[in-house]
Amino acid sequence: MATETEVLPATRVYRRRLSTGWWTRKRNYFLYVVREFTSLPLALWLLWFLWEVQRAKLGTYHPPASTAFVIFSVIVLVFALYHSITFLSLAGSILHFRVLDRPVPSRLVVLAQFAIWAVASAVIAAVLIGFGTYT
Amino acid sequence: MPEKKITIQAARFDPDKDQEPHLQSYEIPFYDDSMVVLDALNYIKSHVDGTLSYRWSCRMGICGSCGMMVDGVPKLTCNAFVRDYWPKPIVIEPLTNFPIVRDLVIDMDDFMDKLKSVKPWIIRRQEIPLGAGEHRQTNEQIDEFRQFSQCINCMLCYAACPVYGLDDKFLGPAATALARRYNLDSRDQGLKLRQPVIGDAEGIWECSFVGECSVVCPKGVDPAKAIQQSKWDTTLRFVVPYGNRD
Repeated sequence: MATETEVLPATRVYRRRLSTGWWTRKRNYFLYVVREFTSLPLALWLLWFLWEVQRAKLGTYHPPASTAFVIFSVIVLVFALYHSITFLSLAGSILHFRVLDRPVPSRLVVLAQFAIWAVASAVIAAVLIGFGTYT
Repeated sequence: MPEKKITIQAARFDPDKDQEPHLQSYEIPFYDDSMVVLDALNYIKSHVDGTLSYRWSCRMGICGSCGMMVDGVPKLTCNAFVRDYWPKPIVIEPLTNFPIVRDLVIDMDDFMDKLKSVKPWIIRRQEIPLGAGEHRQTNEQIDEFRQFSQCINCMLCYAACPVYGLDDKFLGPAATALARRYNLDSRDQGLKLRQPVIGDAEGIWECSFVGECSVVCPKGVDPAKAIQQSKWDTTLRFVVPYGNRD
């Protein structure tokens, strides 16, 4: 029997590491990694967009020269939609509001977010189209 | 009628002999449609191989002891029916993301430390005397935290979380869900004591919302929701004037 002062040897345990391909193991993991990955082309698009704005400001902007940007924008639009829809759908379960001391159903929160998203997109599109017409 | 059989492939690891775990096959009778994976393990332990080690206790999805990977999915083995897998072999492994002590037994010390760190009990600045009566709560106040109080500490959510698998410093789903359970409790006044652990870089901010913790939870708790709501509240407490309330 062990006395109080006796130090018992530590049990050897087997430690596992996640394999680099862990995200291919399950559909949900894969969709999660795709969602996270979409941030990268979105960031690249923003940088490219700022460069295009800079070109317009310098007066060297010629729309035909931006065909690559248009193609890239269409591709990134798919990523942006995927990211936005998944994010807004999930965010509905996060935000918890109370109106008249009653919790607002998460479905209503999601719908409100999509409505705000649509309005914001329309406003930004109007500003950009106006900016393009002006230049 | 010939007796139905089911093949169980259980992970074996003896720390004194094995360098790494391996699978061992057992063909046992599939005697009853109500047979669960835990029954299969108990049959092996009683009739085939008494050296197989695993944890279990209540057999009814309450104690949270018998969580294992069943065909690669974290499950309570008392709640996984053999009929759902038969006639294919069932692969049973210890919960992923935890060190293996022996066979299907994991080392849960890390989880226990994390659980303790969020102080999952009611904290009062000053206890009221017993004679003053109980702390009253309305049903609405209980509804605020009810689902988070269903957690049975089975650790399936940690096994499903790749963030914890990649960085075991992450506080993790169940500990955060239980912290939120007490933070939402109208009787509790311990939010400021839990906040340094929850709001730490290795706390809620480490979570990138995979969401699989909520998928595998056998009790319908939504730890991903608890974490994201805690992010929202922590941000509000930081940016809203007088938001640093108790």
